[in-house]
Amino acid sequence: MRKKFRIALAGNPNCGKTCIFNSLTGARQHVGNYPGVTVESKSGTFMLNDLEIELIDLPGVYSLSSSSPEEAVVFRELTKTGIDLIINVIDSTIPQRSLYMTTQLAELHIPMLLTFNMSDDARKKGLQFDIPKLEKYFGSPIVQTVGNTAGGVKALKDKLLDALAGLDDHGVPMLSYGKDFDEAIQEVANKIDSLNIAEYQHIPSRFFAIKLMEKDSCVMQIKAFQPAWDEVENQIRHLREMHAIEADTFMADRRYAMLAGACRDTISSTREKRREISDKIDLVMTNKFLGFPLFLAIMYGAFWFTFVCAAPFMGYIEEFFSWLGNLIGSWWNPVHLPYLRSLIIDGIIAGVGGVIVFMPNILFLFFVIAILEESGYMSRAAFVMDGVMRRFGLQGKSFVPLVLGFGCTVPAIMATRTIESERDRKITIMVLPLMSCGARLPIYALLIPAFFAQKYQAFTMWLIYIIGVIAALTGARLMKSTIFKGDGEVYLMELPPYRMPTLKSLLFHMWDRGKMYLHKAGTIILFTSILLYVCNTYPEKKFTPADEVRIEAEALSGQNAENIRKAEAMEYTISGRVGKFLEPVFKPIGFDWQVTTAAIGALSAKEVFVAQMGILYSEGEANEESDGLRQRLRENYTPLQAFCIMLFCLLSIPCLATLAIIRKELNSWKMAFIEAGGLFALAYISTFIVYQLGTLLKIGVDKLG
Amino acid sequence: MQTMSTCDPAIPLAALPIGAKTTIIGITPNSRGSKKFADAGIVPGNELFIEAHAPFGGLIRIKILDTSMALHREDAKNIIVRNPEVCHA
Repeated sequence: MRKKFRIALAGNPNCGKTCIFNSLTGARQHVGNYPGVTVESKSGTFMLNDLEIELIDLPGVYSLSSSSPEEAVVFRELTKTGIDLIINVIDSTIPQRSLYMTTQLAELHIPMLLTFNMSDDARKKGLQFDIPKLEKYFGSPIVQTVGNTAGGVKALKDKLLDALAGLDDHGVPMLSYGKDFDEAIQEVANKIDSLNIAEYQHIPSRFFAIKLMEKDSCVMQIKAFQPAWDEVENQIRHLREMHAIEADTFMADRRYAMLAGACRDTISSTREKRREISDKIDLVMTNKFLGFPLFLAIMYGAFWFTFVCAAPFMGYIEEFFSWLGNLIGSWWNPVHLPYLRSLIIDGIIAGVGGVIVFMPNILFLFFVIAILEESGYMSRAAFVMDGVMRRFGLQGKSFVPLVLGFGCTVPAIMATRTIESERDRKITIMVLPLMSCGARLPIYALLIPAFFAQKYQAFTMWLIYIIGVIAALTGARLMKSTIFKGDGEVYLMELPPYRMPTLKSLLFHMWDRGKMYLHKAGTIILFTSILLYVCNTYPEKKFTPADEVRIEAEALSGQNAENIRKAEAMEYTISGRVGKFLEPVFKPIGFDWQVTTAAIGALSAKEVFVAQMGILYSEGEANEESDGLRQRLRENYTPLQAFCIMLFCLLSIPCLATLAIIRKELNSWKMAFIEAGGLFALAYISTFIVYQLGTLLKIGVDKLG
Repeated sequence: MQTMSTCDPAIPLAALPIGAKTTIIGITPNSRGSKKFADAGIVPGNELFIEAHAPFGGLIRIKILDTSMALHREDAKNIIVRNPEVCHA
């Protein structure tokens, strides 16, 4: 017997498929994207006795038609790649709906194992199944499981072993669309058989005959089937003469009719239908008047949890890294390899540590998102917010990621995965960097108190955030009416019943996303930290005795000689030279070379702007509390310039980590470049207008210091 | 809201009030998303219940085959259902 098998896990959205996938494969998973689309691909391996099994978690879909990118992916996986067995997960509380896809899977003649999941809930609902009869009908063995309990998985594993042992003689389903329809399908199938298409020999021609009659776009695109098109038209015309059918939906009608018949014979309900608890909760949660305030309250709670509860943990991590830096510093004598020592302490530990500090934020955030998603509230939030968001060219599901964007753009972009519509998802991702993220806050917190009177400070902060929001919504509106023009996908969203999430799966999801963040910190952030450190340090300026004399003289005027030396060394480095070189470009928007280098440094992480200004203005360890730095800034810049700096930092190219995640999620270098270029243009033009108008009208052009 | 004064036996889904229970008659052929709706169980003969309207308009929530689904009013105009109002000639 063979030792290796490929098994596909298929089912509707919300049928408990992911839960079964996780309990079968455990941590051995690989998450990626299908090429060319933003559909997530997931696979994992596990051992079943001595058999090695690769399990592919297909996207949750209602049908094998190709009306969405997910459905096209499922179609391709099942027809093109060698799948030994399909595990079809069925939500047994709604058998008639779940089994709809089963009828189509059965037509592929790939051996199948039907998993009637959530059978405890079905029993509570009063549903009883005639399992032997159903097994015969679909020609496949059936196992009943209970959601996420270990017992359910054990039964599934046992049944799976049996199914794998008998792969060669699996049953034949007894699916009939009615006499006239079956005859028409057979005619088309005969035609396909006569074409001898080698590529699809392993799948019965009847499957493709049905798909052709449905005008399925994936099958219609396969050139090899084109000679059969005439026969399809003939048969449809013939059927239309006998039955009143709508050309594009009659196969779906027939399938549901077929299922209604099958279910009548095999499934009985002992209880009257009643309003379920879930529906009662929704009378409040999605109420016309209460729905919106409740949504805002839940969002507030989520934010509070993410940012307030995570704060102490961030403190511990910060302390750990400064302890680590000090430890290495005291243990490693600077006489040995001083450059490497400095690179590790000031470059790597400071850079990577600065990012890992946000890890608790990320973990808490994804814990909350997991609760919202698994409980079923996320789709209610989308339902409540859709009307508002649609006015701006977005949709209900865009709202939560946009709000998360105030925290950090990277997890917010990851959170857009809940948006099924490819186009809405792209637009949401593209405008997300305009939501002012937490890393930009230190810039505002440094500049606003330095340049604006107390009574205007809160207003200025609010104004900056509002400008970001307006830019994002306008941008979305613009994209919808230009590059993403036309009708999008039809919106049909399921609102699954509320469920109590299990702690195990919440932690699993939290760690799943957290892992990605850590990976990022270990790769891209590590790399840019080293790069920036090098640019900020080299080439090193050698101070001649003449320089020393000049600096000593300048120091007499009240400045610290060490600070002057630092600033001059900075000017001599790559960063300083690049800043000087680019100064003419940035002059029209009010930037000098110092601000220019800080803005370039901010590409690695926005907080770097503050650190860089600190180094340049020789205040050493700068943070947003530095009053000395504020004084120096007041002496060198006008309030108008300060506002322009904030405006530019808000609108301009996001940090590299954001660009990297945009490239990954949109699966396109081009889009990442367009995003960077577009935002830079937006920032430059807006800042240019504000600076030039302000200068012309003499608003805030006098230095305060 | 569309008036039902004409007392047409077949009306679009979008015209129904919350709480209405009815049976699907059909989907406008070749309309936007007709196949997607058919796959989701919106086919002639199936029963349907209007559960709610979204707070800011646009979305209608229906229950079909024991599942709650939200769809747009614009698309709901293409779904033809039996008029639950009794017609008096």
